[in-house]
Amino acid sequence: MALPIYILAINYVAWFVFMFIAVVWIIVMLNNRGKTDRTRAFKKLPVVSIMIPAYNEEKTIRKTIESVLSLDYPKNLLDVIVINDCSKDGTRKIAEEFAGRGDIRLLNNEPNRGKAYSLNRALKICRGEFAACIDADSIVEAPIVRKLLPYFYDETVGSVTPALKVWRKESLLERVQYAEYILNIFLRKMLSFLDSIHVTPGVFSMYRLSVLKEVGGFDEDNLTEDMEMALKIHEHGYKIESNLDAMSYTMCPTKWGELYRQRLRWYRGAIENMAKYKHMLFNPEYGNLGMFFLPTNLIAIASIIAVFASTAYSYMDSATNAVWRLSLINFDFLSLFGKIDLAMTLEELMTTSFALGVAGIALGGYLLLTSFRSVGVKMRGNIVGYLLYLLMFPFIMMTFWSAAIVHEVAGARKKW
Amino acid sequence: MAERKKRLDKGILVSALVITGLIFFSGFFIGYNLNTEKLSVVKNDITAVTKDIQNFQLEFLLLDVLGENSTCPLLSSTLSDINERSEKIGTRLDKLSPDSEIKDYASYVDMKREYSRLLIGYWLLANKFKNACESNVSTIIYFYAKECDGCGDQSFVLTYLKRQYNETLLIFALDADLDEPGIKTVKEYYNVTAYPTLVVNGIVWSGFQKTEDLQSQLVK
Repeated sequence: MALPIYILAINYVAWFVFMFIAVVWIIVMLNNRGKTDRTRAFKKLPVVSIMIPAYNEEKTIRKTIESVLSLDYPKNLLDVIVINDCSKDGTRKIAEEFAGRGDIRLLNNEPNRGKAYSLNRALKICRGEFAACIDADSIVEAPIVRKLLPYFYDETVGSVTPALKVWRKESLLERVQYAEYILNIFLRKMLSFLDSIHVTPGVFSMYRLSVLKEVGGFDEDNLTEDMEMALKIHEHGYKIESNLDAMSYTMCPTKWGELYRQRLRWYRGAIENMAKYKHMLFNPEYGNLGMFFLPTNLIAIASIIAVFASTAYSYMDSATNAVWRLSLINFDFLSLFGKIDLAMTLEELMTTSFALGVAGIALGGYLLLTSFRSVGVKMRGNIVGYLLYLLMFPFIMMTFWSAAIVHEVAGARKKW
Repeated sequence: MAERKKRLDKGILVSALVITGLIFFSGFFIGYNLNTEKLSVVKNDITAVTKDIQNFQLEFLLLDVLGENSTCPLLSSTLSDINERSEKIGTRLDKLSPDSEIKDYASYVDMKREYSRLLIGYWLLANKFKNACESNVSTIIYFYAKECDGCGDQSFVLTYLKRQYNETLLIFALDADLDEPGIKTVKEYYNVTAYPTLVVNGIVWSGFQKTEDLQSQLVK
């Protein structure tokens, strides 16, 4: 079945964009192989504030607080603040337990005001020179603060991102996301070489407090305030670094419905922030971020939608056609499955599209492999996850992206 | 505000663009070569079938000498060989249709014309065989064209019938748009003006023919 020329063209353009992005990553990786990061440990350790916004996290907040309190860092230099965003469950009680012992300071919102508001409220009372945020369902490894701080020796660094992993990888969905997060750790590192990190994940990204205040804190109107913060930091001329080695762990969605809602929020947020910061697009003032990363991201999203729409259309078209044709032969299905000539089928497969498809998958596979190696994770336990990630996940994300665009265009209500 | 311009690694971006471009160019280059390969395979097949048809013609001469009982089985088996080979060529040519990434259009058209000539010769011989050996083989000439609404459906129906009837149904698909004298002659002979048009065992049917209608025409 020959595809109409416009569908072929759309697919080629989309594939070109993705391969281009992949090649950039590979070049950046090869360029920076074996180089050491620009870090220097502080002679005098500074005070570090840790903000934990929480809404109905009674099941996990204890673990989070304990993980933070167990950090390998002088207790007197740690300033832990929990912000209870008007939780309806036992979150407040658990936090008060720690507050009572003087381990943390507790802020209570009345009524529920959202994550960004909570963080901004905590910012006002932070004692530290540096601040980190962590979700109330995540944990961190003990040395994380010591691993992140040295990057701030360079005064132009506004924020440093950790290596964020998925905590549990039991179900297939979790394993696929595990692979995705590993790839993202690697890509963030590559982005740091280009100074184009566009998201500072809310699971222990560390910020210079003066910079947070300079940019006016977190955007309370935003679906993805952690992405907006990153772009804001760039806008004010600061750098964002990344440490492949500093581990933080988060829970990821275990059900498809949850995943859909999460990605919808992420992608809608990305679209909104892209619109808000459109002055960065193709603007040489913003270097690699403005000239490469943001525009190609935009084009990639547009291509995804175009491919999805055109493929859906062509499949629907073929489907209706198929049903009509079957009616002509009185729905004698079985006759369609005649002897399959293997040689002919293989012959048919050998085309430009196939060659390019193989090239693209090879690039993607290589990137995935490299990311696992760089992050020091063994593939063996998770082969199924990776293969699925490589092949299936992109298509699923395509549909989520399409949904996000539809929601944004229709101006749907913002919902967490 | 830290007044600095963000880093712009033009070198990396340009290199990546060039490399991706090279990958794409290689892809198209490979595709083009693969298509040329496929065309040469078709050419070889056509040569082989042409030889088969020559054999068929020779065997016909034996009819007069050795009589029907000895010769007809031989003719019948050669006919099925030709049938199989010719079908393969047809399918291959279809898959190499202009919609895909074929660039050597002239060679492709030449091959289609050669194939059509082959089909006409094959059809003539099949008719001769039918009469001489009193076989129950049915023949359908199928005229199709680009500007033809029912052709896609007709091809589908014919493919289905071919699977049902196997060697007792011989289908000769002729592209009416081809600039080939043989096709023009047969068209004029059967007065073909609209498409699709089927000539079923010598009887002309203009327009799309349903499965049931065709089945009633074919010998059981």
